Amino acid sequence: MKFENLTPIQRDALREIGSIGAGHAATALSQLVDRQVELTAPELDIISFGEVPEVFGGPEQLVGAVYARFLGDISGGILFMAPRDSSLALMDQMHSRPTGTTKSFGHDEEALFTHVASILAAAFIAAVARMTDLNVLPSTPSFALDMAGAILEVATVEVGMKATSALMIRTGFWDKETTIDVALFFLPDPDSLETILGRLGIA
Amino acid sequence: MESRDLLMTTMGDLGDLTDPNAVMVGVGQLAVAKHPDYLVTQALGSCVGLSLYDPILKQGGLAHIMLPTPFDTVVNGHEHRFASTAVPMMVKMLSESGSMRRRLEAKIAGGAAMFRADTLLAQVGERNVEEAKRQLALLNIPIVAEDTGERHARTVELRLDSGAYVVRSYQYGVKRL
Repeated sequence: MKFENLTPIQRDALREIGSIGAGHAATALSQLVDRQVELTAPELDIISFGEVPEVFGGPEQLVGAVYARFLGDISGGILFMAPRDSSLALMDQMHSRPTGTTKSFGHDEEALFTHVASILAAAFIAAVARMTDLNVLPSTPSFALDMAGAILEVATVEVGMKATSALMIRTGFWDKETTIDVALFFLPDPDSLETILGRLGIA
Repeated sequence: MESRDLLMTTMGDLGDLTDPNAVMVGVGQLAVAKHPDYLVTQALGSCVGLSLYDPILKQGGLAHIMLPTPFDTVVNGHEHRFASTAVPMMVKMLSESGSMRRRLEAKIAGGAAMFRADTLLAQVGERNVEEAKRQLALLNIPIVAEDTGERHARTVELRLDSGAYVVRSYQYGVKRL
């Protein structure tokens, strides 16, 4: 399956998958921080490898990120990402403390951040699995705090053997009162894309 | 285990990326240039930044290598992203502009494991470095400096006046190889 060959109906369907997954993740996040979290309409982007490092605030933007693979009937990756400031604000929310209290990333913050991200990833994956009636399980999440461009490489490395571009379904979450601004990238493998579309009857 | 907070290190000035002398090398791309130009590639994770330098002509090349080798035949236009094809191609480009192969020296950086808990991804960086070294050995090009592995991202710059390879990271700041 070539990403470039997706029809408009197929793109809409994938965006819808992203939307439902993100909706579940947003509900999970709202419950975790105990306040309403808004989400942006998911974007489906087919991005050439050269532009991938640019999609999140420039290649050298310092971000917190958690990557988890999912496997089962379909496979791929899910990447949770937030600029450093937002990551710290999210930690404050989790502890019900005023924004700005957490000043740096230590081991506790890393563990908590990973935990939050894996809950959101699991909520997303569960919604996709339910909608397509497929068995999908998330793998162990992995944390990184570094340049956005280097982290976004995960979207290109997996498909780099065959494809020239990466498919990213991206949703933003934010919270009106503070400055939490996070993004979730759903990165299905090309073969899995076909399975998903087949399940929806539009392969 | 080291603390993972990186705000305390400074990456130093990246230099002006709108500088007309800066030649930006994108993901999976390669370029050759001559002094006073210099080559830059940003945010290497598991990718490898491989540089070749000819001190006599003050020219060199930089490749942002994504993967070690292709499965089978390479689709046209994809050659630059694999170590096994990018290295010979860059040597050829340099020799066409007058750099003899025995004058070239290589410096490599990158090949990190950004997500260490993910074993599959962690291996990609290592394999990229291995293949890059193997290709250089086949062509008899010495590796004079290296900053590879670990788990942090790097931005690299090849200065063509001196051959200095400047590696910037949030983890260690600026290193000159």
